[in-house]
Amino acid sequence: MASVDIQDVRKFYGQLETIKGVTVDVPDGAFVVLVGPSGCGKSTLLRMIAGLEDISGGTISIGGRVINDVEPKHRDIAMVFQNYALYPHMTIAENMGFSLRLAKRPKDEIDQRVREAAAILGLSDYLDRYPRQLSGGQRQRVAMGRAIVRNPQVFLFDEPLSNLDAKLRVQMRAELKDIHARLKTTTVYVTHDQIEAMTMADRIVVMRDGIVEQVGAPLDLYDRPNNTFVASFIGSPSMNLLPGLLTNGGRSVRVESGAELPLEGAPPAAGKVIYGIRPEHLHLAADGEGFEAVATNVEPTGSETLVQVRVGEQIVSAQLRDRVHIRAGDTVRLGVQAAKAHLFDAETSQRLG
Amino acid sequence: MTQTIAASTPRPKAGGRMKTRGKLIDFAIDVFLFCFSILMILPLVFLVSNAFKTPEEIVAWPPRIIPSDPTLENFRSVLADTPLPLWIFNSVAFSTLSMVAIVMTSAIAGYVLAKFPFRSLNIIFILILATAIVPFEVYMIPLYFQAQALGVLNSLWGLLLGYLVMSFGIFLIRQNVMHSIPDELLEAARIDGAGEFWIFWRIVLPLLRGALGALAVLAFFQAWTSFAWPMIVTTTRNSYTIEVGLALFQTGFTVDLGRLSAASAAVLVPSITLFVILRRNFVQGVASTGMKE
Repeated sequence: MASVDIQDVRKFYGQLETIKGVTVDVPDGAFVVLVGPSGCGKSTLLRMIAGLEDISGGTISIGGRVINDVEPKHRDIAMVFQNYALYPHMTIAENMGFSLRLAKRPKDEIDQRVREAAAILGLSDYLDRYPRQLSGGQRQRVAMGRAIVRNPQVFLFDEPLSNLDAKLRVQMRAELKDIHARLKTTTVYVTHDQIEAMTMADRIVVMRDGIVEQVGAPLDLYDRPNNTFVASFIGSPSMNLLPGLLTNGGRSVRVESGAELPLEGAPPAAGKVIYGIRPEHLHLAADGEGFEAVATNVEPTGSETLVQVRVGEQIVSAQLRDRVHIRAGDTVRLGVQAAKAHLFDAETSQRLG
Repeated sequence: MTQTIAASTPRPKAGGRMKTRGKLIDFAIDVFLFCFSILMILPLVFLVSNAFKTPEEIVAWPPRIIPSDPTLENFRSVLADTPLPLWIFNSVAFSTLSMVAIVMTSAIAGYVLAKFPFRSLNIIFILILATAIVPFEVYMIPLYFQAQALGVLNSLWGLLLGYLVMSFGIFLIRQNVMHSIPDELLEAARIDGAGEFWIFWRIVLPLLRGALGALAVLAFFQAWTSFAWPMIVTTTRNSYTIEVGLALFQTGFTVDLGRLSAASAAVLVPSITLFVILRRNFVQGVASTGMKE
């Protein structure tokens, strides 16, 4: 195991800079998730750690050793790919033991390590089969097995669960977490799925357009997003962001529809702001409280009801715990938990306070 | 209720009619294909049959498939008067070596062109494709002078000179690699510690088996059936390939049908054998373009 230290890393494709000076510290044994929308550079960064892409600027160190010019095979890493990348003409055992065979390890040792990894992953019965004879989930496990067998310093995962169906994804998420708890190998995991990031990570790195927007523990990111991008990216359904003006001596924000939304604690600046409130921090309010809006869409899921309402020109989502009987077109009155509101600068999109 | 039943009763009849019609169509297709295949195979059958006929019977009308008076005279005469086994050996050696060379060069070039992202390689690929549109007759004579300068006339190496690389083969393998070998597979191998040669030998080649099999058959027959180049590069009787040798039975005015048939029938044996061995690869490689899971 080792820490991964990424210092001011840049990547150019010709004139185009896709990674713009990224600095991330992955402590020894941590599970760090790089998350962001498509094209944000997260996979490129992972491939740079793996040695599959050249590093145009900055340094990447693994265990204190700068590995910028080190061949992938000498970086002591293992990578799991989105499409599994299993060798189709080799059995599961051969796939898993491939790296050890290349390292010219004794046959007994290869067998033993493959069997151990297969036992961890529940693949013991499939060792003589070929990848095409396994299901998607099993193939993904083999890909992980291939990584585990090597006992590397760092695991790299490139959207490993994207090709699985929703149910299997939840199951594999738990299994991955369990394997990490057991092996405690430093892990860098790339996904575009913020739920995967929230549920698995010790630390999340949110990226956009080749820069790091915020790094932190999942709930820190959820509770105190640095800017409107992180605020809207982390959390599902995403945070409501309403442009408005600070009024009432900074105790509330008047949004475009004219509704006054309450704030707690004095904001540091006055003027144009963006008021952020998560859907679960809205509730049905009594007369005289909150603001009125027309429901445009109602989605009951059983445990909760997601109601979308129109506030001026904007759609606001509210996640209501109670069984409510609202239909699209109804006028509802929503209240806000002022203590849970977030405030962002309208110009810079950065958090205020 | 009765109405419903009444309404539904004609259905099985209609279904039955449909079935019978479908069967009839299938039968008609079978008959057509059978007749067509007989038509295709008939010349070959007559070739073999003529090899066992006397000169009189060959020209007799109506022709018979089974000779009335079978004779081995044609074979005896061909084997006694011409170095037919040597020609067959020349052809087999030439075709096999050409096949090996083409499979090797196509596999390496096709893989490199498909998987190594250098812009200059695209230009090279276009140049390779461009060579395919130049007819052989255009560079036949310059190539002959090169062979002469190298001192390889009348030899196997001279024959091979124009048959070491096949632009279509490079194209076929390149397309196959692009479709059936994802980049991640090679990257995974690189991370696992494999060198480039190892990756090519142990990952790429096994995955290209189908396509390489198809190419091997194409390359073998290309050399086996080649005529113009062997004709100009070989001038001694012992250095002829079978195609050139067979042409000797025809002169400007006569064709020695019996001996030509016997020699041709003997020549069919190795090519049919090879096709039978590689048939599965050939069909797979051409039909599925090597798409794999």
